[in-house]
Amino acid sequence: MTEMPAALEFESVSKEYRSVFSRQCLRALDGFDLRVEAGEIFGFLGPNGAGKSTAIHIAMGFMRPTSGQGHMLGRPFGDAWTRRHVGFLAENVALYHRRVDRLLCFYGALNRMGGTCLGERAREVLQMVGLQDQAKRNAGKFSRGMLQRAGLAQALMNDPKLLILDEPTSALDPLARVMVRELIRSAREAGKTIFLSSHLLSEVELICDRVAVLHRGKLVRLGRTADLLQSTEQTEIVTRGIALQDFAGAVTHDGVVSITVPISTQRGVMQRVWELGGEIISVNPVRRSLEQVFLEVTADSQPPQTDGRL
Amino acid sequence: MKPMLLIAFNFVREQRWPIFVLLLWVLLLAFLGLVADIPRMREDLLFLFKQVAVYVVAFSIFFGGSAIYNERKSRRILAVLSKAVRREQYLSGLVLGVTAACAIYCFALGLTGSWTLGAAGFPISRVWFLMVCLVAACMLAGTVALMFSTFLNPFLAAGATALMLGVPWIASQTVAARWAYVIPVSALTTTVLNSTFKVPGNTEWFPVCLAVLETAVFWVIAGKIFSRVDIAVAVE
Repeated sequence: MTEMPAALEFESVSKEYRSVFSRQCLRALDGFDLRVEAGEIFGFLGPNGAGKSTAIHIAMGFMRPTSGQGHMLGRPFGDAWTRRHVGFLAENVALYHRRVDRLLCFYGALNRMGGTCLGERAREVLQMVGLQDQAKRNAGKFSRGMLQRAGLAQALMNDPKLLILDEPTSALDPLARVMVRELIRSAREAGKTIFLSSHLLSEVELICDRVAVLHRGKLVRLGRTADLLQSTEQTEIVTRGIALQDFAGAVTHDGVVSITVPISTQRGVMQRVWELGGEIISVNPVRRSLEQVFLEVTADSQPPQTDGRL
Repeated sequence: MKPMLLIAFNFVREQRWPIFVLLLWVLLLAFLGLVADIPRMREDLLFLFKQVAVYVVAFSIFFGGSAIYNERKSRRILAVLSKAVRREQYLSGLVLGVTAACAIYCFALGLTGSWTLGAAGFPISRVWFLMVCLVAACMLAGTVALMFSTFLNPFLAAGATALMLGVPWIASQTVAARWAYVIPVSALTTTVLNSTFKVPGNTEWFPVCLAVLETAVFWVIAGKIFSRVDIAVAVE
């Protein structure tokens, strides 16, 4: 049986930026390996300057890696014909200043779409991103949030198999964020792969099947979102019928007492609950937030330098 | 072919204001044709026509030299090249766009020139041949500028283009006339500038064909260079 090609695959990809006039060299990606399977929503996280956009730009063929290689939908990075099946939304959306429906037809036509379906598809995607009433407006007059929606619309024009979204919700209001979240979910249900780079960890936590954290150009964490959020070190014992003061750090809520303890002491604590005549309702691994995981793995990040002015 | 045409059309659309400003020169010529005492000012009109005609070559260098830079700076290039468009196709779209922008100007100038010079009593049969020469010169000059702009900023690209186009001209003046055909932009513009319109003159197609051929060569070189360029502006 042949292995199904990954939607996106980086193989030991490194990228160095060299200054022309000095010997300075910035290594944005360092032996980066990643495999994104078809049909999943993949979250791509990392602090500013971690190399996320560089990785995406290499995948899209905007840049060449210094070393290493990669594949997108089974073809090498940079293959123009493959991009016919890829939708891409850049971090800072920049579109031509023309009527948004015509703009979408322009981008669709660049992907070899044509005929009457082009106009129909433009109307359809404008409806999907909530811009159906703005179809005749010039994109140059759009607010940043509307421009981001238009950017998303152009990425969806070709009904892509792989959607690469770089900060798709950064300029959107909460309602629009929910809309984008639902859009991404329905795309996954339609069998598409979504590669989502975002700083909005709560969004990523809600929708991503798997998450990778990039730090200083290296992959520092990769796994299923549920697994990453599950703490391997602490457990929560929910009990009834014991006094709060019997256990240090216990909290009470709705008549039950919750005790969070290290896994190594879990057995002893449960024994003690039973000895005190208490009842154990449940024992749950402690769930962390993605933000906690992110802060843990990027703990050595330097805060941005400021020059002292506000 | 389709992406190339789309990019070319889009380029002309994006450059509509500079093209409009260029067309004001043609309007000036038309205005002079209307108000001037044509029989008395016929030599002045001819001089103005030739000057206005060759300006477009400078504009083609401006169009070609700044096209990629503007697109990269505005980051609009990312949305275009994220589609099924090869970099060579993108460049050919820009070459076609630069040529079309200059051709619009040349067409307007050809119409106005035919009318004003005709009214001044010049035989105008050569006007359209001269416009073809100009379009060919613009196409080649724009492509050379575009090639330099794949790795230089627009000012340096314009300077490098002027140097590259100027050297054969200097050589043709100092060494031998045939040097003008190495990169025939100067040969083509000289054809326009030296036209007296007093005699029909030869329609020499060799430099035009050479310009088309060299455009293809410079486009290939530009494509090779551009395919190795990191186009994403933001450096993390």
